Amino acid sequence: MSRRYDSRTTIFSPEGRLYQVEYALEAISHAGTAIGILAKDGIVLAAERKVTSKLLEQDTSAEKLYILNDNMICAVAGMTADANILINHARSVAQQYLLTYNEDIPCEQLVRRLCDLKQGYTQRGGLRPFGVSFIYAGWDPQRQFQLYLSNPSGNYGGWKATSAGANNASAQSLLKQDYKEDCTLKEACGMAVKVLSKTMDSTKLSSEKLEFATVGQTKDGKIYHKLWSADEITALLKEHDLAKDENAEEK
Amino acid sequence: MEVLLGITGKDFTLIAASKAAMRGATILKASDDKTRQLNKHTLMAFSGEAGDTVQFAEYIQANAQLYSMRNETDLSPSALANFVRGELAHSLRSRKPYNVNLLLGGVDPITHKPSLYWLDYLAALAPLPYAAHGYAQYYCLSILDKHHHPDITLGQGIKLLTLCTDELKRRLPVDFKGMTVKAVTKDGIVDIEFDDDKVVKSA
Amino acid sequence: MASGYDRALSVFSPDGHVFQVEYAGEAVKRGTCAVGVKGKDVVVLGCEKRSAMKLQDTRITPSKIGLVDTHVCLAFAGLNADARILVDKARLEAQSHRLNLEDPVTIDYITKYVAGVQQRYTQSGGVRPFGISTLIVGFDNGSKIPRLYQTEPSGIYSAWKANAIGRSSKTVREFLERNYKEDMDREATIRLAIKSLLEVVQTGAKNIEIAIMAPGKTIEMLPVEDIEGFVKNIEQEKQEEAAKKKTGRTPGQGSAAILTRTQDEPGDQ
Repeated sequence: MSRRYDSRTTIFSPEGRLYQVEYALEAISHAGTAIGILAKDGIVLAAERKVTSKLLEQDTSAEKLYILNDNMICAVAGMTADANILINHARSVAQQYLLTYNEDIPCEQLVRRLCDLKQGYTQRGGLRPFGVSFIYAGWDPQRQFQLYLSNPSGNYGGWKATSAGANNASAQSLLKQDYKEDCTLKEACGMAVKVLSKTMDSTKLSSEKLEFATVGQTKDGKIYHKLWSADEITALLKEHDLAKDENAEEK
Repeated sequence: MEVLLGITGKDFTLIAASKAAMRGATILKASDDKTRQLNKHTLMAFSGEAGDTVQFAEYIQANAQLYSMRNETDLSPSALANFVRGELAHSLRSRKPYNVNLLLGGVDPITHKPSLYWLDYLAALAPLPYAAHGYAQYYCLSILDKHHHPDITLGQGIKLLTLCTDELKRRLPVDFKGMTVKAVTKDGIVDIEFDDDKVVKSA
Repeated sequence: MASGYDRALSVFSPDGHVFQVEYAGEAVKRGTCAVGVKGKDVVVLGCEKRSAMKLQDTRITPSKIGLVDTHVCLAFAGLNADARILVDKARLEAQSHRLNLEDPVTIDYITKYVAGVQQRYTQSGGVRPFGISTLIVGFDNGSKIPRLYQTEPSGIYSAWKANAIGRSSKTVREFLERNYKEDMDREATIRLAIKSLLEVVQTGAKNIEIAIMAPGKTIEMLPVEDIEGFVKNIEQEKQEEAAKKKTGRTPGQGSAAILTRTQDEPGDQ
């Protein structure tokens, strides 16, 4: 039965739908929330960390946020193991482009290359689709700061603010409510924690449950990206009065 | 005896190439165009082994156009120069390398800054304010050293080019049948009328 | 369903169906509508465009109309991601054709190529077909004859005077069949494309995209304001017609038309 292998490829249902892709989307809707917000002077990505333990090395084991190249980072919602494959692919695509053209790859192209790979897994080779959605934040000289969202089908789109993962719908509507055109990066960070505090189960957050990253521009025009340390996240939470009261816990 | 010249100015890059197609001591054609347009604002001039030159240039042209179609945006001159360099380096280490020397000139589509790149068959790449290939290097670089300025206008650039071609006519032992001259500006590539009939007597 | 003939790929069922291809056709019908209309010396593509959500970045919304080469334009209906892959293959072929044969591709050639790729995906192992239909339009190099082709997931291609693909394409095609005239000028062609799209797009100009191809020129996307102008004009005309019908209709004509139809139908069967 060599056919048994073939038939596992993603195929059309009688209504012309791809159930495997829809199931993959379903899988993502159970993953931790990730959101991205585009500001006029940068982008913030924030994600909910699912694996929390006092024993976990926080600063070295990012679960949801990854650097793709010098001008792009991404947040992951879905199966982390699948995401690692795609991130490795994206990183080598970005470096290959840099080697060929001596320029950083334009954001949309990197997103598209990744989506082409995702699409391939919905059409050929007897494989299941990737169970991950990505939120990308990046900068390129043509379109400045950009925010993208891609999903397992291989579709992508540009956004001003977007979310993926659990409670996606409520996060989206919160973002729609709160988003202001031309907000600053600082305001965007504030909006991000507020949205996450509402979509996550606990009202009081702690740095071990969150990951934060920003892309921005320094005063001399250079683009930087930064994965935040636990202390920085805690400081942000305190500023917005959302931090868990540590003393209360100790008592 | 092929001549390639390139000059950048304030808001343009001039590319000039001799019109003669030669085989040994014979001139086969006096209206050869040794340039190919890579995209809206990048032009490449080539010299070297007949056959290799056009083959390579059109291969690069096809790749540049494919990029433009696929990505709905053009590669910058700098990106193209690096791409060409990579292709030449790859070819150099193959069984039969391309024998092509190139000048690549353009205007950046975003910053509108003009640029010029000099490449040879050994896959050397250098960004330069003005450049020449072949014998023209011996006769023209000194003139360009003396008279070139980064802020010259297109008119001044053409005058400077005339100084160069006059000197070439004066010194080169073979008639190169005048020059094809093209200017790249932020609005695209235009052919420049250039007087080929002027006779320059040597001393 | 449990028979399994619709599970494995590229296999005939006992009654001669290749189900995956038929299901791919369903995916096309779920996609947004696209129309193509040929005029005298112009060819127009129109697309239904989903309206952008509030938080969407309007700079980056992949369009359903794209260029394959400077003189070839393509619109699709169906799965976006599939289309990206197929269009990319077509673009590569167009450029490769230029390099190897000096001339740009003819519209006929690139259509056959696209259809050929689609066919291959209905017959090779371990792949599903492309869930898209395409409309390919343009002018051959040096020619003033407009071309309009359609390709389907099965790999079938065909030439048309005007056609529609995607959601409610049947309604639109029937509309085009009723209203198509030979040798339309630019205005009339654009107008017909927009008018036919309005059959299925209720929300008007902001959800319509129009691309125009003319001989020796590359794609021209019609600005939203212009589309709005056409839409207003069409709606006004419709209202006038409706008003005319109310006042000026003779009862005899209407019933006669119905009468002939009912008479015809039993005969057809």
